Amino acid sequence: MSAERLEAPPLVDERSRSDSLVSPLPARSDFVLDVSNFSVVYGTGEHMVRAVNDISFTLRRSAVLGVAGESGSGKSTLVYAMTRLLRAPGLISGGVVNLNTTRSGDAGEETVNLVTASEKELRKIRWSHVSIVLQSALSALNPVLRVGRDFDEVLKTHRPDMTRAQRRERAAELVSSVGLNEDRLDRFPHELSGGQRQRIMIALALALDPELVIMDEPTTALDVVTQREIMNELQDLRARFDFAMIFITHDLSLLVEIADEIVVMYAGSIVERARANELYEAPRHPYTLGLLNSFPPMHGQRRELTGIPGSPPDLADLPTGCKFHSRCPYAMTRCRDEEPPLTSLGDSERSVACWLHVGGPGVSVPVELSRDATTKDRAHANGERP
Amino acid sequence: MSETLNQPTSTPVQLSARHLTRHFTTRIPGRFMKAKHVVRAVDDVSLDLVAGHVTAVVGESGSGKSVLARMLARIVKPTSGELDLEGTPIAVGARRTLDYASKVQLVLQDPFASNNPVHHVRHSLERALLLHGATKGTVDELARAALTRVSLEPPDRFLDSYPHELSGGQLQRVSIARALCVRPSVLLADEPISMLDVSVRLGVLNLLKGLCDNEQLALLYITHDIASARYLADETIVMYAGQIVERSISTALVDEPTHPYTQLLIASVPNPADPTSQAREKAEHTTFAVADVGCRFAPRCPYAMDVCRTSDPPDFTVGEGHTSRCWLHASEPEAVSEVAPPERRREGETTKT
Ligand SMILES: Nc1ncnc2c1ncn2[C@@H]1O[C@H](COP(=O)(O)OP(=O)(O)O)[C@@H](O)[C@H]1O
Ligand SMILES: Nc1ncnc2c1ncn2[C@@H]1O[C@H](COP(=O)(O)OP(=O)(O)O)[C@@H](O)[C@H]1O
Ligand SMILES: [Mg+2]
Ligand SMILES: [Mg+2]
Repeated sequence: MSAERLEAPPLVDERSRSDSLVSPLPARSDFVLDVSNFSVVYGTGEHMVRAVNDISFTLRRSAVLGVAGESGSGKSTLVYAMTRLLRAPGLISGGVVNLNTTRSGDAGEETVNLVTASEKELRKIRWSHVSIVLQSALSALNPVLRVGRDFDEVLKTHRPDMTRAQRRERAAELVSSVGLNEDRLDRFPHELSGGQRQRIMIALALALDPELVIMDEPTTALDVVTQREIMNELQDLRARFDFAMIFITHDLSLLVEIADEIVVMYAGSIVERARANELYEAPRHPYTLGLLNSFPPMHGQRRELTGIPGSPPDLADLPTGCKFHSRCPYAMTRCRDEEPPLTSLGDSERSVACWLHVGGPGVSVPVELSRDATTKDRAHANGERP
Repeated sequence: MSETLNQPTSTPVQLSARHLTRHFTTRIPGRFMKAKHVVRAVDDVSLDLVAGHVTAVVGESGSGKSVLARMLARIVKPTSGELDLEGTPIAVGARRTLDYASKVQLVLQDPFASNNPVHHVRHSLERALLLHGATKGTVDELARAALTRVSLEPPDRFLDSYPHELSGGQLQRVSIARALCVRPSVLLADEPISMLDVSVRLGVLNLLKGLCDNEQLALLYITHDIASARYLADETIVMYAGQIVERSISTALVDEPTHPYTQLLIASVPNPADPTSQAREKAEHTTFAVADVGCRFAPRCPYAMDVCRTSDPPDFTVGEGHTSRCWLHASEPEAVSEVAPPERRREGETTKT
């Protein structure tokens, strides 16, 4: 894996510069990742596209953060840029991505700002501390090598002390931990099914026992039964290896099952952030509500659902104000002119960027988006929409 | 065996398939020897597509859904079986006629692959219309009407767009418009929403539903998403390894599935409302976990009995218009030792390949 060495971004603030030195800090170990004001653009000048807009979040050790959003909302860009795998014309335009590592063996705990880290530091961090599983395993695995070689390479680079036989043994252990037979190591990627390749990628990501694993739509290309098997295996693996995870998908109901906390992205920004069950039970942003209502239910009366009107926005041609206003059934005049900031709601650990909630006392919140909304309220709201 | 379901006699069957079968002979990739292997992609499938009705076919990838759709469209020739369009038997071995192509239209999964990137929407619609006998003077009006039917309005905004200028949902509507502009009586939609953004999927499903209701189209809706089948379809057919394993009225099928495979499919759907209901099938499986003898699902079935490993079950009637291809539903009690309790495969009973 190689990464573009990015120019020092112009908008990086002072804080990130001082953090860029690898400095041992006292017990920050609550969070494995601390991202603040992170922004990414594609291209320059007139054609510049803001793909990730001033995003901040933290990830607790061993926790799962879910990232939901439709295609083009900037999910992949966010994690590629965070791990510095982003290629030109992508450019980090600001922010800090602090990784607090503890598993570096003897070195103890240290904080590294990935945005300013050197290639050498990044090489040490990748696989050992942070690994990433991509949507298409076929493009991530080398097509002309038997998959066992991928394991061998990763282990050889990072664990020079291991012998060939030890590496093989570790690889066998890893593939069996994802439910595959050891003989799969002797296959070429094209000889494996989609689900098997994705399992190989997960096993590879865990090879060096990282503390953070990023999964970019790992099951989107698979069918529902295989997806279920892999999700179950992931739960078991997390119990065993205790890694934190960023899990990206467009399938909000899948996220509600696996994530502790969920951020919902729309057009490059976080529009809502909440604990998974709270987001599911009482969504506060109209877009979140629309997404939840976009999945036909498995039970109950069949009724017509409407989903979300319109189509996802083109980042090169964004509307003014709230980027969702043109598709929003609750849009007010203000939404067209002013972009709502992501604001913490006093009642819980959740934030939302919507004038309905942060517009002051003059605005009344529709019942289905209120704190005490019930499933019935939400279904009702969906059925009534034009 | 599975002749017509309890369709009201007033609703005409547009396209009827009997015992459709398609086998492929492939060579198993292997380093030492090349063995021939017969893939039974579709095996003895019978179904009726009825005007104004939606029939869903649900199954994992590789279960034979696309091969079935292509046989119905007569793009793939069946190994055996019969087709009957509007009461006229079709010689399945013969070449597809233009008349058949205009009556039975196929919409594919990937709208970006099925819309030529170098041609604008007008070109692809007019080409289809001219091919199917429209005159030069009328194509413009017909193309506009086709876009209006799929709610791409105003049509002028879309006629001169190129595929890359449209979103996935809009482009899939163009594909549907192109299929509909030749006035088919049957529409075969092969996973029409699986590549689309979540928020626009319902819009496309509602569009299809409206076409069935208002224009008496017979629709075959192929999907791996059983929730969307329940939402859209009147009848749902579940396929496993080329065979129909269960079929019923959609709500009855999802609410009371009787085949262990249907139960597995349903339990696999993410369901935050009821996280305890989730399947725990841990074993790795591949399409090779398809039995050659007996029930094809037996190697993965948590309830498999001796009879399942030796003889292929027939369709058993388990309710009105509801059949299940599973020995658990055999009426003679001696055929079934006991109905297995609803718990999943035990550890160690896996089918690693
Ligand atoms: N190489 C690129 N050049 C220009 N724009 C890009 C490039 N890659 C992605 N984008 C834009 O960035 C946005 C976010 O893309 P992406 O991060 O892939 O979204 P997601 O993963 O949520 O589908 C998209 O709207 C896309 O147009
Ligand atoms: N041209 C072909 N040659 C050989 N095997 C094929 C061919 N087309 C399909 N198959 C096989 O037939 C089976 C069913 O495929 P398909 O209908 O595409 O499944 P689905 O659409 O349900 O995912 C699969 O095992 C597939 O490998
Ligand atoms: Mg992506
Ligand atoms: Mg298919």
